[in-house]
Amino acid sequence: MQEMLFQTKALCYQGFLEYQDIGIPENKVTFLTGESGSGKSTLLKLFNRSISPSSGSLLYRGRPIEAYDSIPLRREVSLVSQSAYLFDGTILENFETVYRLRECFLPDEAYLEKILRICMLQFPLDQPTANLSGGEKQRLYIALFLSFAPPVLLLDEPTSALDQANAHGMMENLIGFCREKKMTPIIVSHDRTLVETYQECIVELQRRNAV
Amino acid sequence: MNGAVQLTLWQFLLIYLLLIVVLIIMKRAKASKTKLLFIASIRMTVQLILVGLLLQYIFEHPHPVFTVLFLAAMLVFSIHRVLSTRKDLNRRFKAGVALALGVSGLAVLIFFVCAVVGEDVFNPQYTIPLAGMIIGNAMTGVSLGLKTFMESIETQRGKIEMMVNLGLSFKTILRPFVNRALESALLPTINSMLGMGIIFLPGMMTGQILSGTLPTTAIMYQIAIMIAICASVCLSVFLSLWWGYRTLYNGDDQYIG
Repeated sequence: MQEMLFQTKALCYQGFLEYQDIGIPENKVTFLTGESGSGKSTLLKLFNRSISPSSGSLLYRGRPIEAYDSIPLRREVSLVSQSAYLFDGTILENFETVYRLRECFLPDEAYLEKILRICMLQFPLDQPTANLSGGEKQRLYIALFLSFAPPVLLLDEPTSALDQANAHGMMENLIGFCREKKMTPIIVSHDRTLVETYQECIVELQRRNAV
Repeated sequence: MNGAVQLTLWQFLLIYLLLIVVLIIMKRAKASKTKLLFIASIRMTVQLILVGLLLQYIFEHPHPVFTVLFLAAMLVFSIHRVLSTRKDLNRRFKAGVALALGVSGLAVLIFFVCAVVGEDVFNPQYTIPLAGMIIGNAMTGVSLGLKTFMESIETQRGKIEMMVNLGLSFKTILRPFVNRALESALLPTINSMLGMGIIFLPGMMTGQILSGTLPTTAIMYQIAIMIAICASVCLSVFLSLWWGYRTLYNGDDQYIG
């Protein structure tokens, strides 16, 4: 049997979330679904170790997640949260800030423009972010994280602020980019048609109350 | 030079006439805080009478134990005042704040009394009033610094979350918040230094001149106390935040609040 990227066993978080045992394969497009309150966002935070389970085990590439250092892990398992945050200034300045914080060299402009196109953003790099719409801000936020091409990309409701056409367009491009870079996307989504169109693996979280 | 004119009780009571003027105006203007002014005046009077009697007793029977007890009470009260307004701090953060106020207040005070004035640190006539000014200002500074720090963390949650997810350490993320809070806590002290002597004559200097001290001596004390206040504010805010911000995350760089 192929080793799972993530494997959970009797995973619990703070007494109010109890997960069924979950396995997520590598190099497949996995969607996490389930009603609200079933712990989808929390599961993503457990995956990048910004929180720790209260009990149970969580394996990443066959090793307990506690065995990894948080900081390198979060760069490898990159979580794009639901609430977008952008810095002041232009699109380019946002990339510059993020790369400076990560202490990395900024990729060339052609690459950044490619990333923007993947996220369906038809803007020049010197466009100020202040006058972007909510959906555009969300896509730029995704673009900032996507540009690092992390091996595992966790997306929390990436299309929640987008219309159908943009949502499908971006998902198509995003999955293509992930294939090209051998990245594994794990996506939380409520959008049925989106999930059914692009899924290669679905994990439906059951809402269970821990005793 | 003569000492200050001794006030008789009747002379002293005359000043309360001014308070009656304030009360009448507030009543006329239908100000809602009339009752508060009334309570505040009474509290001020009672508190100062008590502290005056206490100091009088201590000065007549000076003993290191009295000075130490008075200092300890001041510190406990100021720490309590700061912490009671900040329910959002965890226990280790609170301990850091208490330690920071104690360490920096005492360090600046001892330096001032022993090195600058050249008096015994247990001499209540110097130590107690100076401690009041130094610790009192440090308390206000720490309150302001903590408020700025905690509020900016609260309002910038989105930014912090993004930086965590980018794989940055909490040390990197929170340091700029510490620096900005320190700056905002120091600003009132710096501003009051700017206006000093032009806009108003500061309280300590006024008091010394009234009691017969040469103005040239009084300004030296005033300058010294201002610098001491600035130092104790800076030290106490810096140490509070420096020890405090580390309690907000654990060894795995997870926010624990």
